[in-house]
This record gives sequence, C-alpha cells and structure tokens, in this order.
Amino acid sequence: MHDEVLNIKNEAIARIMEARDLDELAEIKIGYLGRKGKITLLFRDLKNIPNEKRREIGNKINDSKKAIELTLSKKGEELTNTSLKNKSDIDLTIPGIIPNIGHLHPQTIVLNEILEIFNHLGYQVADGPEIEKDYYNFEVLNFPDDHPARDAQQTMFIDVANTKYKLGELIPRTHTSAMQGRVMEKTTPPFRVIVPGRCFRYEQVDASHGVEFWQVEGFVVDKQIHLTDLFGTIEFVLKSLFGQSTKIKFATTFFPFVEPGVDAYIECTVCNGRGCSFCKKSGWSEIMPAGMIHPNVLKHSKIDSSKWSGFAFAMGLSRVVTLKYKIEDLRVLHTPDYQILKQF
Amino acid sequence: MKAPIPWLKEYVEIKLPLNDLMWKMTEIGLTTESYQTIEGEKVLEVEVTPNRPDWLSILGIAREIAIIEKLKVKLPKLSDIPEPSSKLPLKININSKLVGRYTGITIANVKVKAAPLWMQKRLILMGLRPINNLVDITNYCMYELGIPIHVFDYDKFKSSNLKLELSKGGEKFISVDEISYPLPPDTLIIKDGDRVIDLCGIKGGLNTGISNSTKNIYIHVPIYSPTVIRKTSLALKLASDASYIYERGPDRGGNLNTLKRVVALVLEFAGGKVASEIIDLKDKEYSPAKISVSLNKLESVLGFKLEWDEIIDILSDLNLSPQKMGEGLSLTIPTYRGDLKIEEDIVEEVARIHGYNNFPKTLPTGTIAKEKIAYYFNPKFQNHLKTLMYGVGFSEIQTLSLTSREQLIKSQLNLENHIKIANPVSLEYEYFRSSLVPNLLDSIKLNSLLKKLKLFELNKVYFGPPDKHRELYKLAAIQSAGSFREFKGVIDLILEKLNIDNFDIKDSLVEKSIWHPTKSAVIEAGDTPIGTFGEIHPKVLQNFQIKNRLWAFEAEVLSLEYLSYDPIFEQPNKYPPQIEDVTLEIKKGIKIRDVISSIKISSKLVSSVELVDIYNENYTFRIYYQAPEKTLDNVEVEKIRTNILKILMKKFGITIHQ
Repeated sequence: MHDEVLNIKNEAIARIMEARDLDELAEIKIGYLGRKGKITLLFRDLKNIPNEKRREIGNKINDSKKAIELTLSKKGEELTNTSLKNKSDIDLTIPGIIPNIGHLHPQTIVLNEILEIFNHLGYQVADGPEIEKDYYNFEVLNFPDDHPARDAQQTMFIDVANTKYKLGELIPRTHTSAMQGRVMEKTTPPFRVIVPGRCFRYEQVDASHGVEFWQVEGFVVDKQIHLTDLFGTIEFVLKSLFGQSTKIKFATTFFPFVEPGVDAYIECTVCNGRGCSFCKKSGWSEIMPAGMIHPNVLKHSKIDSSKWSGFAFAMGLSRVVTLKYKIEDLRVLHTPDYQILKQF
Repeated sequence: MKAPIPWLKEYVEIKLPLNDLMWKMTEIGLTTESYQTIEGEKVLEVEVTPNRPDWLSILGIAREIAIIEKLKVKLPKLSDIPEPSSKLPLKININSKLVGRYTGITIANVKVKAAPLWMQKRLILMGLRPINNLVDITNYCMYELGIPIHVFDYDKFKSSNLKLELSKGGEKFISVDEISYPLPPDTLIIKDGDRVIDLCGIKGGLNTGISNSTKNIYIHVPIYSPTVIRKTSLALKLASDASYIYERGPDRGGNLNTLKRVVALVLEFAGGKVASEIIDLKDKEYSPAKISVSLNKLESVLGFKLEWDEIIDILSDLNLSPQKMGEGLSLTIPTYRGDLKIEEDIVEEVARIHGYNNFPKTLPTGTIAKEKIAYYFNPKFQNHLKTLMYGVGFSEIQTLSLTSREQLIKSQLNLENHIKIANPVSLEYEYFRSSLVPNLLDSIKLNSLLKKLKLFELNKVYFGPPDKHRELYKLAAIQSAGSFREFKGVIDLILEKLNIDNFDIKDSLVEKSIWHPTKSAVIEAGDTPIGTFGEIHPKVLQNFQIKNRLWAFEAEVLSLEYLSYDPIFEQPNKYPPQIEDVTLEIKKGIKIRDVISSIKISSKLVSSVELVDIYNENYTFRIYYQAPEKTLDNVEVEKIRTNILKILMKKFGITIHQ
C-alpha cells in the first residue's frame, strides 16, 4: 500500500509536469483527485487497512494529495502564463461588423451645437411661422414701404387669390428677424431669444444662393446693452463654434432694423484665408450680420426705448454648416444623396 | 458703384496700399471686396448700402477715403453761373409732392461734338459708352456729384411751358434709345403740351434728345420723390443709374452746385452762352439740419468711454461741425447726409470711424428671464425623435419646403390644399409641400444603387388656405429593403420609447393618395391623429420610376409630443416569470394585435406577450406569467393558459396548434 501511494503520486506529478495545456491538466486533475480519481479511491480504500497502519497510510495519502495539488496549481499557473504569451489566433485588425446606425444631417448637428452655446448664455428658443405677414417681415423692422432697402431681400409672394389679403401682404419670410416683432410685442423685457428657421428669397439657385436657406436669429433686450456686448457675444459664439484660434473681424453695414449696424466676418475655413471661390477670393466669409436694435423697432413693439435697448444678429445656419465642414456648394446640404449623408 | 482710383485721386491723396484701403473702406461701411483693371486703371467695386446715396458718387467715396487717410478732400472747382447774355425763355410747372427741388437753365449756341478724351476715358471706366460732349457731361457730373442731370434739345420743345405731372395711363413714350413704352398710370413725366418728353428719373425722350445738330439746350437737375420714382421703375420694370440714385434720395441741397458744375463744363467743352435765369423751385429751404447727441447716450450705446478729443476729431472729419452744448454736442448735418436723423445714427458714425475692431469686448451683464418668452419652443422632443431614428439605422435628410406641381401630381396629392407662390423663381419651387414623403421617394430614386436604404426627415409641412394656413412638423421615414415586420418594428419601437400605448390602427379611407389603398393604415389616439404608415401606392412608385415596393410612415410630431410621457418607474419583480411558447392556429383576417391584447388582458398575471414565430397560419407566442409576490407553479400557469385559450376560442375561434 505504501508503495502504491508513492507510485500514484510520482506518476501524477510526472504527468502533470509533462502536461501541454490547461485542458490536459484538468483531465489529470480529474484522474487523480476527481470523484473516481486514483487518490480519491485510495482514501476510500483506507477502511480496508488495518487500524494500526491506517493513520500512517492516511497521512501518506494526504501528503500525496497536497503535493499533487501544489504541483497542479504551479503547473496551472505556468501553463496559463505561457498560453497568454502565445501568439493569439485572433486578427485584431480585422474589420468589425458595424452595428446598424443611421446618420444625423450636418445641419441638425450644427444647429444643436449652436443652441447649446446660446442655452449656456441664457437664451430661449422661439419658433414661428414661415409664411408671414409683410408687417412682421418688413414693417415692424423699420423697412419703409417702397424703399430700396427691401431690394436686398428679394421676396416671393403667396398666392392670396380668394382671401382677404392683397398680393404682397403674405410672404414666405425672407429672414428669421421676422420673429423679433412677434416675440417683442408679447414678451416683457428683459429677454434673450434665439430663432432657428427656414427663410425664403427670390434668388436664382447657385453654389452660394438658394431659394431656401436657414438662419438663426438672436436678439436681446435689457436695461444696459452695449455695442461691446454685441461684439463680445459674436466673438464668444463664433469661437465656440469654430475654435478659439478663429480669426474674426467686424465691419459697418446697414439694415433698417439696427443702428449701429455690424457685419461679422470669419477667416474662410474652406481656404484658410488664402482666397477661394467660396469666399469670392477675399479670404473672409461674411457670417453674422448684426447691430443694436433700432429704437423704431422697439417702439413698434410697444417697448420703451428710453428704458430698454438691445442687440440683434442673424447667423446663416446653412453657411455655418458649409464653413464648418468645408463644403463649397450650399446645394450639397439639401441633396439627399447617401454618399453625402453617410459622412456625418 | 464703380470707383476708378485715378478719378478718386483727383479729390483725395491715396497713401494706403490698395488692399489695406479696401479693407478700411469695408470696415467703415463701404464694402469693397474686389477691383477690376480696365484699360490699365484700377476700378474699385463698392457695394453701397441703400442708406447712403451720397456714396453713389466719386466725390462721396473720396470724402470717406479722406477720413481714412486723415486728409481733407479737394472739392471740384465751382464757379458762379454767368448772367444770361442770350434769351431762351422756359417755364415749368411742378408739384412739390412729386419733386422736392428742381433747378434748370437754358444755354444757347452750343456745339455738339465729342467730349474731351480724359472725360471719355473716365466714363469708359464707369462702364459707359461715350456719346457726345453734352450727354457725356451730364453723365460725368452725375457720377462725380451723385445727382442725375438731363439735357434737352430746346429747339425741339413744342412749347416753352413745360409741365411735370403723373401719367394718366395709356400715354406713349419713346425713349432716347428708341424704345416705345405705353405708360401705366402714376408714372412721373414731363410734357411740352401733349407730348411726353421725359420719363422722369429713368429715361429721357427721343423727341427732345440731343442730336449732332442741336444748338440750344435746356439742362435740368431735379430731385424727385424717391417713392414716385421707385413706383414708376417697378411698374415699368425699368431701372437706370438715375432711378437707382433717385430711389435712395440724393442730396436736396446739392442741385444748384451740380447745375453750376454742369454749366461750367458745357461752356468749356461745348461753348455757348447762358440764355436764362436759373430756375430754382423748392418746397422749402434745404439747409443743414441740427442734431444733438448726449455723451451719456454715446457711452451707453458704445459700452465704453471714448476720449473727448477723439469724438470731436471724428465728428469734425465727418464734416458735422461739433459744438459743445451742455453735457453733449450739437451737430450740423450737411444736406448730403440725409441718413443722419437720430442720436443712434451719430453713435454709429463715431463707432465706425473709431473702428469696430478697436472695441473692447464684453458679454451682457443683465438678467436672465425667468418667464417663458412668447413663441417659446423646446427643441428637446424633436431631437429625441431624431436620435431614435438614427439610432435604429435611419439617416436624416433635409430637403426644401418648396416643390413643383409635377412632384405633387406624381405623388397623387390634392393640389387644392397646397399653398402656392404667386411669383415663383422657377416651376420647381412653386408650391409648399404638404407631405415629406415625396422628397424621400426622390431620395430613394437618387440612391437607387444602394439596396438597403433607410431615410427620414423631420420638417414642416404646410396646408392652405393661405389666410388660415397651418404649418406642422412631421416626421417621415422610408425603408427600401427588409420585411414589413422589420419596418413596423421601427414604428412600434418609437411608440414604445415615447410610452404611447393607447392608440388604434384604422384602415386608411382616402382613395387616391400616396399610400397603397389596402396596405396602409392610420394610427390615432382618441381624436388625435398620429400618422399614416404602410406601403407606397404602386402608381406613385411607377411615377417616381422606383421598381421595388417601399414601406414608409409619416407622423405628426406635435401629436407624438402631446401623447408621450416620461416612463413611470416600477420596482423590478424579484420572482422570475414562467415562460412558455404557445402555438396557435389563426385564420387570415384576424388582427394579431387584437389577439395579443386579448392574451394580455386575460389575467393580471400575464406580464408580457411576444410574437416569436409565424409558420403558415401557426403563430407562436411567448407568454410570460409572473406574480408580484411569488413564483407561479405549473398548476397556476395551466389555469391561466386554459382561460386564455377559452377567451381566444370564444372571441376569434382560435385553437391551439396540436
């Protein structure tokens, strides 16, 4: 019996030492220590051993078991280490199977970014009609009837046959500024408003003009609003959108509903300022016409211009998108070609 | 407005390099992005804003350049008009509502020939073809000083009593370039008796035009009412350099000087003698206006304090003659600056000359409103929908709201409900769309090489009539491959994610539509329509030249928002459900949705039912039996199942598959 225990132990250890992998090791473990393993059976046979020898043999078997367990665990560790070091048979560079996900339109992506920036500055979003009264589109905004200032916004007219309207009284809005009067006449200052939306112009369609385009109008009315606040806001917004190193410059311009009038340019992102067809070779792109709200606009909306003042600006959303992604043709934005869509 | 550099240099020295000058001009409001080189000379292209008619002249632009260069502008030499030494009488009747100021003079014995070469060259730089000395002088002076001038052949007048009036309509007018215009009512004209000899502010008449044999002339410098000229120009769809200036309201204080300049040039280059007193008719004295501006106002609009000396320098450079008055300044506004009316206008003058790019930058320090503004809109819900759509594999398109009649007809949409543009740019953009589906079909067609396309759009659609029109946000999606159940799963998922469960699916009743007559349905919740889904009408597909069948849906975003609510948290059940699959034989025509809901409501212990397999008329449902307080045993489950089968048998005649 004594020798048998020793033999089993030695045989086991020898087999363990020669095991090639963890599977074989597991097999060996079962063969000796499992329910019907050789060592387990030895324990079972102990009852047949005479009393005086039982303790000694029992100890021997126990020692063997411990030795086998120790060897198993050492060999196991060794084999695990080796197997981890072995070259994996998985090619980790193989392309994955892409889960099915769609694409958001670049305009949605950029608009969300813009709204987030203005949300941070305390602006609320307003949404209003695209088919608009001449009154809100022009009159409230200090565009006199029959004034050439209207020529800058070539206008389409809604066919109003069989309605109470005269031709020209109802138009597809030419700018989101049309929401200024609507919000102002029904809201008590102070307020900060942002209006994203579709606008329409009577324009021949080409790479930089469209019958439809999107604007984001913004306006603020409060007690102490300065031109410096307007410059600061424009700079904050454009740098948030295009990066802190973006070059911005301001120029004087005229819109009947602001005074002073401001135009903001950013260095053309398509050509990095070198001059291209997109920026008409100037290296700069006009992006954010703005100004201090004209006192007449406040007056039309029954806001006391001696107490309140404000600024307003408009951003060509379509243009921001094209500048952000260096798209040279505005028409790309509303062409539903998957080859375009899938890039975003 | 073209501005040739050599001509500008006659009035102001230009020291800045051209590109710097162009940017400085742009910065102060004279947007100059490009120049041309004509006959070796540089000609600036200046965009003049409608508030600055004074910039529609070389002198006006030179005045601004002088401010940039910190120099004084050299005005053209003006000499007084000599006393008449000959006699060509002329009278004109004007209405001061139509013409604010009117000056004129006759000159006898001029000689028509070519204008001096330097003058011809300048007109060529302005893009004009030289004609003869008299016509060229009037054009030259208009470009130089910004007020249009017209010269008539005095001998061709039928009468020396002229009359300026509005046309009655139906009069015939032939312009100097020999084009005949039947006149609508209310255009501004001059008559010499019965004949129309001038279409004021737009074109002169052929009947009194200058010819090679012209000897005696009448020159006039009128300043017409801007709106009358604009209406005339719009009514006739006819514009000229002169009408462009008149619409913007030129300097009413400037006609006399313009007349002096023209007469001096005529006497110098065409000879002749002044033959009448100066006619100078005006409704009032056009003398410089006064505006006062408070330093307080200036500072509060600008947002920072400018040095007193700089303010004075800027206003003096602008020729506004600042005088200290109390806490502010009194300014004298030259007549050519009719755009300066209120304090804010003066603030802009100071700001732009100081230079917008030299301003400090701040953010508003005021209050954030606590209340919601009028027209408040929360974009969160629409973004949620877009995120869901792209999360399940649909790509967003953004297309135009304006569409063509052809597109509507192809889509079998009723033209009548559509809002129409009266003056469309092209027939492609004539109607406001009432559905997002047609452009999705276009997109499928455009991408027809791709077999598995899933697209969506969320945008407005529009419904007439125009005076009671509605604009609604819709969400539409289309799928070009996959089974109906795969597409229906998208709708189910969206409704589930929005927690909309209480809705009906009804047969769509519209006969002619973009939807398949029997393979489409309407979803409603009570009286609230949610949307339509199903297959696109085969005829519509044919119209769009699409070969494979397509599934689509279009839903009302506002209804979805109104019906949706945030999930209500439930404590997860600790006791695992008993799950079993039951295969039922279901005859055609029985709605599976009704079967599932019958199973669901049969017992509170049925926590969920799924359709897992369909084979012929055999439908396998996976039923989850679950109680909140314990795990159900087989006996309990059997009881529920027996009840379910009893209900299904009774309601639908459905039996279990053996």
